[in-house]
Amino acid sequence: MSEEKKEIANNIPVPASLKQGEEENKNRRDFLKDMGAAALVGAAALLTNSDDIEAKSTWAEWFQKNYRLMSDEEKKEAIARLEQRYSEEYGKNVTVDNVPAMKGVLFGYALNIQKCIGCRRCVHACVKENNQSRNNPEIQWIRVIRMEKGNFSLEDTDKGYPAGSGYKSGDNTSYGVQVGGNAYKDSGVVLEGQHYYQPENVPEKDAFYFPIQCMQCEKPPCVKVCPVRATYRDPDGIVVIDYNWCIGCRMCQSACPYWARRFNWGDPNLPKEEMNPNTHYLGNRPRVRGVMEKCTFCLQRTRKGRYTSCVEVCPVGARKFGNLLDPESEVRKILDKKKVFRLKADLNTYPKFFYFID
Amino acid sequence: MKKVKLSKLYILAASCVLLSSLLIYKLSYSQNTEQPKTQQNEQPVTDCFESREGYTSVTRVENVAPKHGFPNVKCSQTTGGVLWWGDAYDGTIPMGEMPICGDYTCGSYEKGEDAVVRPREPQLKYFNLNPEQHCAFCHNGKMVPFPKNKKPRLLAAHQDIVADSLQLMHGRAAFWCLDCHSATNRNRLIDHWGNEISFNQPQKLCGKCHGEVYIDWRMGIHGKRTGMWVKGGKKRWWVCTECHNPHTVQTNRFNPLKPEPAPALPKGMKNADHEQSEHGLHKEPSLSSAPANPSTGH
Repeated sequence: MSEEKKEIANNIPVPASLKQGEEENKNRRDFLKDMGAAALVGAAALLTNSDDIEAKSTWAEWFQKNYRLMSDEEKKEAIARLEQRYSEEYGKNVTVDNVPAMKGVLFGYALNIQKCIGCRRCVHACVKENNQSRNNPEIQWIRVIRMEKGNFSLEDTDKGYPAGSGYKSGDNTSYGVQVGGNAYKDSGVVLEGQHYYQPENVPEKDAFYFPIQCMQCEKPPCVKVCPVRATYRDPDGIVVIDYNWCIGCRMCQSACPYWARRFNWGDPNLPKEEMNPNTHYLGNRPRVRGVMEKCTFCLQRTRKGRYTSCVEVCPVGARKFGNLLDPESEVRKILDKKKVFRLKADLNTYPKFFYFID
Repeated sequence: MKKVKLSKLYILAASCVLLSSLLIYKLSYSQNTEQPKTQQNEQPVTDCFESREGYTSVTRVENVAPKHGFPNVKCSQTTGGVLWWGDAYDGTIPMGEMPICGDYTCGSYEKGEDAVVRPREPQLKYFNLNPEQHCAFCHNGKMVPFPKNKKPRLLAAHQDIVADSLQLMHGRAAFWCLDCHSATNRNRLIDHWGNEISFNQPQKLCGKCHGEVYIDWRMGIHGKRTGMWVKGGKKRWWVCTECHNPHTVQTNRFNPLKPEPAPALPKGMKNADHEQSEHGLHKEPSLSSAPANPSTGH
């Protein structure tokens, strides 16, 4: 056996550098040195060749730091670079701000689930505002789920089990182990619904609609799992992404219990005439392939005092937005007056997105 | 030799036919492909409605902000609704005197706040038939005499607004047109104290009865606002009649809307049938058949 192994080992081709002595190793080192020098020369060529803006900015972007570690000077440089690049690419005067979080502001959102008619205007308003890829891949940050009206009654929870299986009510062998949901009825499953509903008109009589987007959690699971800290929570409560630092591992996507994160599987497809030139570094600036994105409460707008795009478009006024630290704000009044719940509150993510009913 | 020549001729003729047919095909193809394109380019939806169809509308103006080059609004090409406001205050006027502010109703909106509304008067069909005297052109007491009492009667005109005046779909037949419209000044609304109210400020009238909703609206909980969320920032307040039709509230509170298109299906998915209730998700399981063959029950 051992001889056989030896034979196999001998048959495996071994790299020349490993077989030979130290002299060769030295040569390898020299080779690497030369390579490094060549790379530097190449880089220098790229940097000095001012005509090729793209090459220059690509070089600079590769070596830029995490946004939070960048100095003001570096931020300014990065933004100037991006503005130049985007303006050239989209043929309009594109601005990229880096407006920081306002002091004394914690953004909160409230949505009247009773009023939502499921027209999906918010979904498309968001796309118009936030420069998402329009097709292939089509990216939307808000999803509206159609749910059928029904009762979640205790009587239903043990229906649908085969007779004699021990779960049927009235059966002496019922152990009462499983509550809600079984192989025949998904009464215990949360958030089952329809994404692709397309009726003639909305609202429909037997349905209600449930829009979901990023909840801007106070304890965001996506931030916890990010291995490179490309996503983090700003002081105004917005969970943001440094698109240049994101490595596209999609850990955050699987961590998010609200299905809020979207991944650019392909090169984003954003027509020039559709592009919104008012952008923010951490918000709606055009993305590239292989990065994660999600709702930012339109921070390019809200950090300058304007309502989000989805709030403005909602034809029934179901969406409300404001400062949670201001007791006179719309959201705080809603928290005071209305019946409010948060989605999956049991996960202790402390969302800043509230659903309410009149 | 003759044969060869003939065959050559044939080939020539055939190739001619082929070429011409190709040309024709190409021409017709290009016509076919260009037609829808030009149609799309010529008639994109540029007049779009704001909250409900046939009510207030906006016309898209390119380069509202010339420095950046974005339009005032972006319209949905499928439903014709406004999807995006570049200018949140397009076509607005100051709201005027702020509604009464109670202890709790004031919210963050103190005196002197920059509140604007989209005026209703320019949108009213009959109001604008006469550009100067408006409704009073006909309702001047002579051409159309002033009504003597508030007794419901059949209307001779305006059936397009109120189809059956004996069954006024507001207030459950408890009141009449003149409870809201001034009997002597048809250009104005009137509340039960006799105050005349402009068509641009319906909230002053509606709030008299619908107090609870009015309080919510005043605080910003009910209804819609666009513009700035910040305290003291300029806001467009959407007034009652921009969403509710006061003449049909009882039967037709809102006109249903056509929904915007659904998201694209994931690659490889042919349809969204898996979401339908037929697949057992929301359907009551038939208890009798389920135990016999569990695989069909799901």
